[in-house]
Amino acid sequence: MNSDREEIERLIAQVALGDRAAFETLYDRVSAKLFGVCLRVLETRATAEDAMQDSFVKIWNNSDRYQANGLSPMTWLITIARNTAIDRLRATRKGHQDIDTPGLELAAPGPNPEQSAVAASEAKRLTGCLDSLEADRGAAVRGAYLDGDSYADLAQRFNVPLNTMRTWLRRGLLSLRECMSA
Amino acid sequence: MSDTPIIPPEDDDLLAAEVALGLLEGEDRAAARARLLQDRAFARNVADWQERFVAMTDDIAPVPPPAKARKALLSRLFPTRRVSLMQRLWLWQGVSVAALATVAFLALPMLREAPTELPGDVYATRMAAEDSALEMLAVMDMSRGDIALRRVSGNAPEGRVLELWAILPDRAPISLGVLPEGDVTRVALPADLAAEAAQITLAITDEPPGGAPDGSPTGGIMALGAVAEL
Repeated sequence: MNSDREEIERLIAQVALGDRAAFETLYDRVSAKLFGVCLRVLETRATAEDAMQDSFVKIWNNSDRYQANGLSPMTWLITIARNTAIDRLRATRKGHQDIDTPGLELAAPGPNPEQSAVAASEAKRLTGCLDSLEADRGAAVRGAYLDGDSYADLAQRFNVPLNTMRTWLRRGLLSLRECMSA
Repeated sequence: MSDTPIIPPEDDDLLAAEVALGLLEGEDRAAARARLLQDRAFARNVADWQERFVAMTDDIAPVPPPAKARKALLSRLFPTRRVSLMQRLWLWQGVSVAALATVAFLALPMLREAPTELPGDVYATRMAAEDSALEMLAVMDMSRGDIALRRVSGNAPEGRVLELWAILPDRAPISLGVLPEGDVTRVALPADLAAEAAQITLAITDEPPGGAPDGSPTGGIMALGAVAEL
C-alpha cells in the first residue's frame, strides 16, 4: 500500500516536470479507478469518458501544484475525477459554478503544508460511520458526494425546507467527524 | 423549525465539509473560495474532509476505459503524435491491405529523409471514380509540404493529360498541376493550403495537353478522394 502510494506520488512528480511517459504510466495505473468513479456519478459511458479525459487534462496541467495541497495522491486524483464528473452532471443546471478543488485551481500560498492529518485508518471508518448516522443523514451525505445533490435537491428529496436540510446535513457531518476520529 | 441550531453557523470545519461536497452556492461559495486562497488552515480542513469523503469511492469498482479514450486524451494533450509514420499507415482505415503496401512504399522517402525528426501531420486518400479505371493513392506529408502519388491502375485518355486539383469548401478548385507520366510522382502542396489540409478533397480530371487552359477544370473527373489524417 505504501509503495503504491510512493509510486503514484513519484509519477505525479515526474508528470509535473512534463514527463509524458510518466503521464501514460500514471494513466494506465489509475484510469480504471477514475473511470469507475466518473461512471458512478454520470452513468452514461460517453459522458463518463469525457469527464475522465477532462480529469486527466487537469491532472496534467496541475500536477506541479500537487505538492501544495496536502492530499494523499489517490485522494487528489479521485477528488479531481469526482469533482469533474459532478461539474459535468450539474453543468446543465442554471447558474452552476464548478466545485473548487484545493491544490487544483486554488491553493493557499506558502511552503508545502504537512500531509493531511486524516490517517488512512480514519478514512476507512467513513463507511461504517455513515451507516451509523440516522439513515436519512447518511443518505444525504452520500447523495451530495456521489450524486452531486445540492441543498435544494436534498431538501426536495427528503421533503423538508432548505434551512432544515442544511441543519440536518451539518449535524450529520458533525456526528460523522466525531465517529471517524473516535 | 423545531431543530435548535446547536451548531454555530460559522463553524469553519463544517463549512470546509460543505466546500468539499460542493454544496455552497452564491455568496457563501464566493467567500469560501476567497478563503481557500488565503487561509491555509481552512484549505487544510477542506483537504481533511476530502480525505475522509474519498472513502465513499472505495466500493466503486475500477472499470478499464476503452482504448480510444486513452488515444483521444493523448492526442488532445500532445497534438504532435508520438506514433511513427509507419504505425499511422497501418492504422489507416482508408485503404485495403494490398494498397497499404503501396502507400508504405510512397511513404518510405519521408522516413528516410528525416530519420531523426518526428513526422508532421500526414493525410492520405485513395482516389477513384465510377466509370473510370483510374485509381491513385495520395499521401500528403505536411512536414515536406508535398503530395506523393502512386497510380494503381488506369491512364489518361488518348491525347489527354491528367491534372490534379485540390477542392476545398466554398472555393474554386485549385490546380496542383499536370501529372507527369509514370507511376509515382510528387507534387508540391501550396503553402497556403496547409492550414486547411484536413478538408482537402483531391481530384483528377482529364484535360487537353498542357492542362486546363484557364485554370479551371474542363474535363471529367477521373478520380476523387477526400483526405483522411493518418
